[in-house]
This record gives sequence, C-alpha cells and structure tokens, in this order.
Amino acid sequence: MVDPLVPPFVPVLLAAVLLPFLGRRTGHALGALASAAVVPYVWLVTEGAHLPVQLFGFDAVLFNVDPFSTLMGVIFGFIGAIGVLYSYASDAENLQTAFALGYVGTSLGAVFGGDWLSLIFFWELMAVTSTLLVWHYGGKAVRAGFRYALAHGIGGTLLLGAVIWHFAETGTFLFGSVPGGPETAGMAGGVAPVLAALGIGVNVGFIGLHAWLPDTYPRPHVAASVFLCVFTTKTGVYGMYRVFPQDGNVAVAYMGGAMAVFGATMALFQNDMRRLLSYHIQSQVGYMVAGVGIGGALAQAGAFAHVFNHILYKGLLFMTAGVVVYRTGEESLKKLGGLASEMPITAGAFSVAALSIAGFPGFNGFVSKGIVISASHYAFEKGPVVLGEFYTLELLLLVGGVGTFMSFIKFGYYAFFHGTYDGSVRDANRGQSVAMVTVAALCVVYGLFPGALFALLPFDVTSAAVVAHVYHTYTTSHILEGVALAALGLVGFALVKKPLSGLGRVPDVDNVHNSVTFYATRALVVGVTELYAAVDRVVVATASATTAAVRAPGAVAGRVTGSDDPVSLRADYSTSILLVAVVLAVLVAASVSL
Amino acid sequence: MSDLVPFAVAVPIFGSIVALAAGVFRSKSGWAVAVGASVLQLAVAGTLAASAFGDERISYVVGGFDVPFGIELVVDGLSATVLLLVAGVALGVLAYARRAGPRSNPFYATYLLLVAGLSGMTVTGDLFNMYVFLEITGLAAYALVASGEDGRSPVAALKYLIVGTFGASLFLLGIGYAYIGTGTLNMADLAVKLAESAAVDPTLAQAAFALIVVGLFIKVAVFPLHTWQPDAYAGAPDTVSGLISALVSTVAAYALLRVVYTVFGTGFLESNPVAEAMLVGGAVVSIVVGSLLAVSQSEVKRMLAYSSVSQFGLIVAAVAIGNTTALVGAAIHLVGHAVMKGGLFLTAGLVATETGARTVEEFNGLVDRSPVGAGAFGVLAVSMVGVPPTVGFAGKWYVAVGAAESGAWALLAVIVASTLLTLAYFARLVERMFFREPAPQPAVERAGATTSAEPADAVADGGGGDPRGASLGMYATVVGAAVLAVALGFAAFGYGELLEPTIERLLLSP
Repeated sequence: MVDPLVPPFVPVLLAAVLLPFLGRRTGHALGALASAAVVPYVWLVTEGAHLPVQLFGFDAVLFNVDPFSTLMGVIFGFIGAIGVLYSYASDAENLQTAFALGYVGTSLGAVFGGDWLSLIFFWELMAVTSTLLVWHYGGKAVRAGFRYALAHGIGGTLLLGAVIWHFAETGTFLFGSVPGGPETAGMAGGVAPVLAALGIGVNVGFIGLHAWLPDTYPRPHVAASVFLCVFTTKTGVYGMYRVFPQDGNVAVAYMGGAMAVFGATMALFQNDMRRLLSYHIQSQVGYMVAGVGIGGALAQAGAFAHVFNHILYKGLLFMTAGVVVYRTGEESLKKLGGLASEMPITAGAFSVAALSIAGFPGFNGFVSKGIVISASHYAFEKGPVVLGEFYTLELLLLVGGVGTFMSFIKFGYYAFFHGTYDGSVRDANRGQSVAMVTVAALCVVYGLFPGALFALLPFDVTSAAVVAHVYHTYTTSHILEGVALAALGLVGFALVKKPLSGLGRVPDVDNVHNSVTFYATRALVVGVTELYAAVDRVVVATASATTAAVRAPGAVAGRVTGSDDPVSLRADYSTSILLVAVVLAVLVAASVSL
Repeated sequence: MSDLVPFAVAVPIFGSIVALAAGVFRSKSGWAVAVGASVLQLAVAGTLAASAFGDERISYVVGGFDVPFGIELVVDGLSATVLLLVAGVALGVLAYARRAGPRSNPFYATYLLLVAGLSGMTVTGDLFNMYVFLEITGLAAYALVASGEDGRSPVAALKYLIVGTFGASLFLLGIGYAYIGTGTLNMADLAVKLAESAAVDPTLAQAAFALIVVGLFIKVAVFPLHTWQPDAYAGAPDTVSGLISALVSTVAAYALLRVVYTVFGTGFLESNPVAEAMLVGGAVVSIVVGSLLAVSQSEVKRMLAYSSVSQFGLIVAAVAIGNTTALVGAAIHLVGHAVMKGGLFLTAGLVATETGARTVEEFNGLVDRSPVGAGAFGVLAVSMVGVPPTVGFAGKWYVAVGAAESGAWALLAVIVASTLLTLAYFARLVERMFFREPAPQPAVERAGATTSAEPADAVADGGGGDPRGASLGMYATVVGAAVLAVALGFAAFGYGELLEPTIERLLLSP
C-alpha cells in the first residue's frame, strides 16, 4: 500500500507544464509516463485515505480515495497514457498534448476531490483546458470551441449554484463519505439536486443540452478527439453519482434511457465519422446515466463498469476513425470504402471496438451493458410500457442497443467493407498500432474474463450479499439477447440502408438554439448598445449642463431668468446688507414667535 | 498665575503702540517689534495653557472690582487653546511677512492690534467686553485688508467694513436685549440669570439669542451672510489673507461656541428648538453651498475663501450637536482649520510669488515650477479633505462621532458628504498640480505683464533685489504648516482627552 502524499493530478499537470519546453519525443514520453504512473499509484493507495486541505478558506479534500474515484483514476490514467502515445504517433504538437494533459490532470483532480468545492474548481478548469485543446487546432474548431465554452460555462454555473445551495443547507462542502462531511450523502435540499442535475446534464449530454457534443468533437485534431471523448462526459457521470449517491433518481434514469435511444438514432443519420461517434457518446453515456439514476449497488456497479469499458472502446473507436482521417484526409463515410484490405490493423481494431460498443457477447461492452440492463429489470420500477418480460427502461436500453448495432454496421460497412478504395493507403503507423492493439486487447480480455472487471468495481455484483440480483455474465438468455440484438441490427440496417443513403444532414436541436442564441445575442448586444448610448447621451448632457453652470453660474442664471446678459451672482454692498436683514428678520421672527 | 491673564491682551496692545512710535524714529522697524511682542505673547499664552487644562479655570477681574460688576477675564482649556493658536499663528505669519510684506510700521501696529483684539475676545468673561474686542478685531482686520496696493483691497475692505459693522451692531443689540432681561453682562452671571426662567421674559432671551447668533454668523461667514469674506480674503495681501483666514473667523466661531454654551447653555437650546434649528440650518447650508461655490471658482484664493464657508459650517454643526465629542471636535477643527487654511493661503501666496500663478488653470503642472509650493499645497489639501492621519481627519472624525452619538443622522450624512464635497474642489487642484502639463503660455509671463493686478508681487518687486524671491522664512512657514497639519493629527486624540473635562464643565454650566 502507498501513502497518499501527492494528489494524482500533480504529476500530470507538472508534465503538462513541462511538455511545451521539451523535445517532442522526450516530452511525450514524460507525459505518457506521468499519466501511466497514476494507474498503479491510485490502485495501491488505501481506500478511505484522504488529504484534507483548506481551499479558499474552506475545508476541502484533494485526494479522496474510495472505490468510485479509484476506478475513475485507473482508467483516466491509462487512457491518458494511451492518448499521449497516439498523439505522438499522429503528429500532434507539444502544445496540444500539453493542453490535453492539462485536461487529463484537471479531470483527475475532479474525480479525486472529496468535496464539492474542489470538484467544481477542477470541473471549471476542465472546461477551460478542453476548450484550449479544441481551439488549438484553429479553423472551424475555434467557433465550435466558443459554443463549447458557452455550453460548459452555463453548465458549470448551474452546478456552482447547486454547490452553493448545498453549502447553505449543510454548512460544509465535504462529501458525505468523507470524515467531517454531512450525515446524508449527495446534494441536500430540494433545489440543489435539480440545479446540479441540469448543470451536470450539460456535461453528460442530456437530450436538449447535448448539441455541443457532436458539434465540437469532430472538429479538432484527431488525437484531441481521443482525449475529448473520454473525460468530460465520464466525469459528468461520476459527478451525477455524487449528486445521487444512494437511491438514484427516476427522472435521471429515464433521461438515460432516452439518451441511449436518441443518440443511437441520431448516430445512424450521420456520415461524418467522428460526428457519428460523438452521438454514440451520448447514447452510451445514456446507459451510465440510467445506471446512476436507477441507484443501488447493482446499477451503480453497472454504470461504473460501463464507464470503464466505454472509455476503452470509445477511445479505440476515435483512434481508428482518427487513423482513417490521418491517412486519407476524409471525414465523410460517403467518400470512403473498402479500407479493410488496405488497413487491416485499423479495420481489426475497429471491429473489436464496434462489437464492444454494440454489446456483442465476448466483448467488454456486453458485460457492463448487461449489468445496467439487468438492474433496469430487477432494481427499477416497471414503468408505463411493459412488453412481456421487458419493462420500460429496459426496452429503451435494448432499443438503444439495436440502434448501436445498426450504426456501427453502417460505419464499418461504408468505411471498411463496402466497395473498393481507389489507390493505396498505408495502415496505421507503429505508435498508433501499439495504442490501438493494446486497447483492443483489453476490450477482449475484459469481455472474456469479466472477473477482472468485477474486481475493479465498487460493488461485487456476483455476491448476493451485496446486490439485489446476482449478475452472471454468460447465461443462455444473456447471450441470446446479445445475438438477437445483433441480428435485429443487421436486419434493420439492411432495411434502412436505401433510405439512409438518400438522407442529407438531419437537423438537431442546435439548429434551433444556435439561431435562437444568435438572434437573442444580437438583440441583446443591440439593446445594450442602444441603452448605453441613450444613458450616455443623458449623462453627457447633464454633465455639460453642470459644467456650464459651475464654470459660469451667472450666465446660466441669466438664461433661467430670461435675460441675455449674465446675471452677476456676487453680492454687492446693498445685497449683502439686504441678505443680513432678511436672515435676521426670519430668524428673530421664528425664534420669538415659536 | 491669574495675574498673567491681562498680559495676553496687554502685550500686543503695548507692542502695537511701540511699533507705531518706533516708526517715527526708524522706518521698517515694525517687524522686529512685532516679532518681539509675538514671542512674548506666545510665552504668556503657553504659560497660561500649561495650567488651564485642570479642574479650575483661571479668572482675573480687571480694576479691582468684584464679579459680576467688574470685567472678568477667564482662561479655561478651550480659551487657552484658542489663545495659543492666536499667538502661534501670529508669530508664524510674521516669518512669512518678513519678505512678503507689507513692511510699513503702521501695518505691524495694526497687525498687533488685531492680535490684541483676538486675544481679548478669547479670554474675556464679559459679554460687552467681548463686543469691544470684536470691534477692535474688526477694525484692525478692515485696515489690514485695505493695506494691499491695488484697487481691489480698499473696495473689499469697505464691503468688509460695512457688513462687519452691521454684524457687530446686531451683536451689540443682542447684548442689549440680554442686559435688559437680566441686568448683568458677566457671562457666568448671565447664564445663572437666564436659567431662572421666571426672572427673564423668554421672548427677550430668544430675541437676544437670534440677534447675537446672526451677528456672529456674519463674523464667522456662514452662508448667506458670508458675502464680505471671499472679496476680503482674495483682495487682501497674501500675508493678511493667511492671518485673517486663520484667526478672525476662528475666534468668531469660538465666540459663538462660548456665547451659546457659557451664556445661554444647553437648557436654553433644549427648550427652544428654533434656536437649535437655526444653528443646524446655518451649518447644513454653509457646508453644502460653500463647497459648491468653491468648486465654481476660478481664482485659487476665492476658492479657499469659499472652502472656509464650508468648513465653518462644520464647526457650527458641532456647536449645534452640542455633546462632548462634537465640541472637542469643534475645538480640534478650529485649530486644524486655522493651520490648514492659513497654510493654504500662504502657500497660494508663495506660489504666486514664485510663478505668478493665481488661477486654478495656472496651477497646471505646478509641481515642476514650484515643487515646495505644490507639495505643501498637496499635503494641506489632503488634510483639509480629511484623510487620516491628518488633523483634518481628526476634527471631522470627532464631529461625525458626536453627531452619531446624539442620533443626528441627517447632520451626519451632511458631514460625511462634506468630505466628498471638499474632495471635489481640492482634487481638481491636486490633479492639475501633479498630473497635468503646464499651460503652453507660462503663467509667469502673463503675471509679469500685469504686475499691477498682483499686489503681493508688486510688494515683492518693490522691496527685494530678487523680484520673485521667496525667502527662507516663507518656505519655512509653508512647510511648517504642512508638517503641523500632519503632526497635529497624531496629537489630536491625546488633546481630545485633555480637553474633555473643560467641555464637560462647559455643558454642565447652568
């Protein structure tokens, strides 16, 4: 066991600061090492250890170790190292990787914070570093970065409001699980959880609040996308768990189910590879949000298992898509095809990742998605729609699974297997290959040996003492379910392939709120400008009049009395005596008569 | 000890006669006589002050009569303070006057006569005697204002004379009413008789109060009875501006305090709300309007004059509040204002001597041309605004605390606002002096072209070999005033404790 001396974000952020000043090879090696070192470090630190500090004069905990944060730390550190390796192989600049490592470090800070104050502190820093990461690419990424920053500014502010409300209710920022924290975990009071859910909802991509996600992630450097797809949304899931740490929240659970279906459906309509993958983030995060919303040991274990697996296969998917973009320069599936023979390693890695995300038996997605679906059946209300054995939320999650299969069949079909590619394309280079194969191998290992995954989870899902319904990965019904979903996906894709190919860009909510935002902002700017001008005119006129009155009071008095000549305001002899007499008369009369 | 009291008045009167007589034998010997008399006067004042802050007041009856029939001279902590101030300022201004002039013997004779009148007003315990000294003060002041060499001085002096005499007459009329009512002129005796309400017709007492207050308001220059004051201060030679701005209104304000509390007493104010309203009204109007008028002035000395109208409003406010803290504040601000305002007028004179700058615009970039003048002016202005730890802060602080103690919130608001108003007219000068480029056409040339309009310059031109020379004495006086404005700020709180017994006795007197 290791003592918790240094919060894990420190070495990563140090590496991020040093990186721009080092050579490309040294710098990236240092970055990968710093990020990788986090994995054994947080794994070995004793559970329950924490590092209390004072932040802005309040009690705060910078290194709070419990099973949830350990799991997040392990996978964040691992994917951070892989991402740095991939960045190095994909010709990313040192500065970009530095921003990316800053993003990794602040995310680590957020998940290891033992109180709301350090969580929100790092939460906002994440928004800053990730925006910088997007901006660094320039071009279209800059405007998308602005929209991204705006969305996260609003979300962060809502969460900050919730945190302050929580503080007003409990008098402490600490989590309930930390010594000295409040008696009940989670956000206290009636309003704070709603504000927090909405604020975090921006990060995890609640339907309606998700438009930044497919807008931003396809735009920056391919290596930047690998980082982006991991940290913001998953930290959001972790934050959501901290808000509802015990019994979850029904509305959040259904929102998760809806996200799973909505994201997968929207993904099906996309032709830009990374945009398609971005909608799948929303869809997959839907499973995790559903798990957090269901609450209880089984669902939370499933949610965090899915976080863990999702980071692996989604990182891998963005890496494969990145390699395709890197080698061909094409973003659109319509212009690709037949790459399987040209890029066998990439195609292989993609297949593993696609089967994982779709939840095909034998791959890690199957395990974790299965836990969440199982929880939605055994640990959650039936809901309004019941179809035989299947309940409402369960149905939503299953439909989302079919949509996932369909869209990844589409991706794979058009990118790798459909037709032939004109000319020759080289496969992924060595660094990219190492990164992809490592992650792909893990996807398979965790799929075939779910016990390795279970060991990481906060709750033992195989123990009847811990969970409501013991979870067995490979049962006949489970495998049948997985295969049936795949079959439905195949059939579905065959049915919609024709109409899909004729489909243009499908509008999303951002069409509405981008234009609303645009015109509202313009109205606001014009209004403020005009108001300012009006106030300015009044103030300037008043000031000029005052100045004139002060400079030449006589002239002003003359104008007031209607004569053209300035009135002399200096009292001469007679006026002086008159003044004295008047004052005397008034005062004597007043004092004598009253 | 009590035999020393008449010397506070006699020494300057004697000095005045000697100065006039010495002029017959040797011209320009007046300054030396004045210095000698002032040093002696300061020694007398110092000796008296050293023992005045005790439990007993020092009392002396002139001519071997008995109180209340004879004229009583009284020194307590308050009058000792003012006496010391008069003696100290008179000596300090002399150091300035050595080079700045005027230099004739009759001038110094009048100068010492003014000091005698002021000292007399300070130490007298007799109301009619106070009127006599008020007239001596007034006549000497009119003559001093008229001693300038351009046409402005006599005109200003004439206006001062007419209005001032009017005020003194009203004061006398008030004394007459009080005498009819009580049959006595001794202040302490008057207080006893006025307190026995059955013995005195209240209407008579009220009329007396109104007449005396209006008369003194004219002398203090409370708005709108201030009309003589800006002309007199601006038209007089710089030396005289410094002296009368520091002392004449100050002693008149002291007289107001003395008459209100020693003669009429707190009981009279409590039973006559109109009397108190009179003081409060005068204070508020003076503070606000005086400041606004100061902002609108283009000539520095006129601006300083209107500033006095505003500052004395503050002291009248303290008199109106009438608790220990406020009256201690009034005493501190009387001393502080005298040092600051006298210093400012002398600094303005020094600046005019060095550069010819007399208007606000000509003060642009003054720090390059007259670093000592600009520095001293800056320190004094900051003190006048009331920035800690200067004496200006201490005075305002006590008055403001006093207002809060007696729950006069409206007055407190005006007092606090007065700081901002003071800032309004001093900030623009400070800004011009330190942060602006000098005007493209140097003020020196313009002043040189119109020397006849600059009395102090004309005097300096006529006397010294160096036409614009400012003597060491002038620098020393100005810098001394600036240093004192800060140093007194540190001493003020200790002094406040020292003065408290006197004020408490004053408030308790019947």
